[in-house]
Amino acid sequence: MKRKINIFSELYGAYYRTAAKILAEDEITESGIYSIISEEAFADSALFIPQKLIPKNGVSDWGLIKACDGKSFASVLKHKPRSAATELHKRWLRAQLADPKFRLFLDDEVCARLEKRLEGVKPLYKSEIFRSADVFSDGDPYTDENYIKNFRRIVSAITSREVLDIEFLSGKNERKRGHFLPLRLEYSRKNDKFRVYCAAYRDRHWSNGLINLGRVISAAGTEYKSVYEADMEQYFSQRRCVEPVTVEVTPERNGVERFMMEFATYEKYTERDLETGVCTVKLWYDRADETELLIRLLSFGPVIEIKSPQSFRRLAAERVKRQNELLRL
Amino acid sequence: MAGFSELIKSFDKTRDYVRDFFIYGCKVRNDFQAKSSRTYDDEKRRVESWLGDYIHTDNSQRGKKVCISVDSGHISENPLYKAYYSKSFTDNDIKLHFLLTDILADGESLTLKELVNRLADDYGELFDEQTVRNKLKEYADEGVFVKEKQGKTDYFRLSEDTAESFFNEYAGLDNAVKFASEAGNFGVVGNSLLKSAGLKNDIILNKHNYIVHTLEDEVMLDIVSAIDEKRFITFESFGKNREGKTFEYSGVPFRILSSMQTGRRYLTMYNYEYRRYNSVRLDSIKSVKQGEICPDYDEMLALYLKNEQKCFGVSFGRRTELGHVEPIKLTIFADEKTEDYIINRLEREKRCGTVEHVSENTFVFSADVFDPNEIMQWAKSFIGRIISVEGGSEEIRNKFYNDIERMNRMYCDEKED
Repeated sequence: MKRKINIFSELYGAYYRTAAKILAEDEITESGIYSIISEEAFADSALFIPQKLIPKNGVSDWGLIKACDGKSFASVLKHKPRSAATELHKRWLRAQLADPKFRLFLDDEVCARLEKRLEGVKPLYKSEIFRSADVFSDGDPYTDENYIKNFRRIVSAITSREVLDIEFLSGKNERKRGHFLPLRLEYSRKNDKFRVYCAAYRDRHWSNGLINLGRVISAAGTEYKSVYEADMEQYFSQRRCVEPVTVEVTPERNGVERFMMEFATYEKYTERDLETGVCTVKLWYDRADETELLIRLLSFGPVIEIKSPQSFRRLAAERVKRQNELLRL
Repeated sequence: MAGFSELIKSFDKTRDYVRDFFIYGCKVRNDFQAKSSRTYDDEKRRVESWLGDYIHTDNSQRGKKVCISVDSGHISENPLYKAYYSKSFTDNDIKLHFLLTDILADGESLTLKELVNRLADDYGELFDEQTVRNKLKEYADEGVFVKEKQGKTDYFRLSEDTAESFFNEYAGLDNAVKFASEAGNFGVVGNSLLKSAGLKNDIILNKHNYIVHTLEDEVMLDIVSAIDEKRFITFESFGKNREGKTFEYSGVPFRILSSMQTGRRYLTMYNYEYRRYNSVRLDSIKSVKQGEICPDYDEMLALYLKNEQKCFGVSFGRRTELGHVEPIKLTIFADEKTEDYIINRLEREKRCGTVEHVSENTFVFSADVFDPNEIMQWAKSFIGRIISVEGGSEEIRNKFYNDIERMNRMYCDEKED
């Protein structure tokens, strides 16, 4: 009989993982158990795991820990639990090796050794099975030597917190150079590009920076390790729009479903009018992506209407007006 | 809520709910008419428990509204992966998991009988042979144990491969897996590998991140496996007919197509019932059954790939005959001196179309496609620059011109303050 591969298995589940972490402790108190549950499992798990795990009168359903001295517990196991890399994990890793983006993170020698280790493991899927219908054709050059060198330098700087001296081409094709602390890499499947969120050091101050990796000419180390602690939530809140865009979406042409799906990646707040089926949606966005948002909204045509802010609505109105004039020519 | 459990046996019901909460973000209990209120409450509680940080509840006039709101470009981990970590199990399952791996942790190779005896001797746990045999088989299949035959007897030992061993031996693999667990296919598998080693993604963000896609990974794995083995499939859809029965379709699967613009993913296949290629949304597929091997698979795939080149998006149009495409032409204005970015946009987004510079500041995009209607949403992203639309059908052209008129009334008929 054909063997089915399971992604949805208790083997990978939060309860097993939580139990393993508890069992790895030499001795643990009840509050210690609750603390691991809250870190590893779900919000309500504290109601379920302890009653299965913690023995009462020396007995528990799972039988995995025993009381030590009335205050703490110890594992019944003789070894610390270890987490297997399963067949599914290995097949997935094998499939990833076909992706040049995955290989960007690994030196050639490491890739070769990993390939050797996974020799004989069947890839979970063949990459050609997946195709993106609308991915942009000017994606990053993942096999270009200089790109790979810059990519690895930047990834290494993110983990080591090293400030880099980066020279790059700006959006206006001007050469720019400065000191940057790379904070996060961002990949876009639609653009097929990486960008780097940075803290830019200018005039003795840190500010926000965003560089397209494909536009980096060189990234050199400065050996200066930054003590700057980036709070990513605060970092992104500085990039966020001041006021959300409010859009009215009508059910015409299945507009609500199409809109909700397409804008599922945005933080949003939705209200629906029961009588008309019209949804009022507030969308929050990164200010750098304002034009992208505008053209995506316009592509829905009259099925949606941008209501506010007035400045954003005016941007739409200008384009529509220009369009009307073009068609009247 | 007696009998409530955070864990679930099967994924499809929950999948349906999470998707609705996530996509619509404006549903109340009464909207889930087909489901009982007890089911709604249980599913809602589960989703709240898994996705606590991202759940928002509002008391709207129609009742309590539940929605999941995530700025998915700025998160380090797809919160919907948690749904995969909620599979239910029995007390015996978890006991055997930890005790058997503990017995074998020293590298010993033991038989079924020896393991059953050690469970009793070392831990005082009495299991019948059949229960332990099933677990050993399951774990040998999953790659947790290695099964080796000595004579006629099966011996089991623990696999040497651990998550930590991979990350320790291969420099950079942690970051590669962090990337692929958020931006790659079946990212949930990479996420579980990271979690096994106690690692968290702290370097990668994923723009245009449709986190809801992961809910389709389970059925997609069955599809991908059928494609790999060139098999027929039959799938059941979430939709129901008037008698309340779900629909079943059969065919030959070829590819998984995704649209980063619309956020939808499709299975493309040859549908025998309609005798044509079609694209089926993955989120509409409830379950998949693999069938026999298709003897003509390679020929059908070659023909499919030829046809795929005539799709602007994912639609094969309504035609059954092959090779019937319709031409469509958009004439676009872009200032050559100052608006390079528009010309670049046309070039990088043209897909199967071509872009021609026809006169000063004028560019023509043309394509021969099965379904010209698919081009029109993209075309409208150039509003303000479209000189003309030619080809396609009259219906498509009229719809475009009417849309512009309606938008003009919507945005430009306002009295100035």
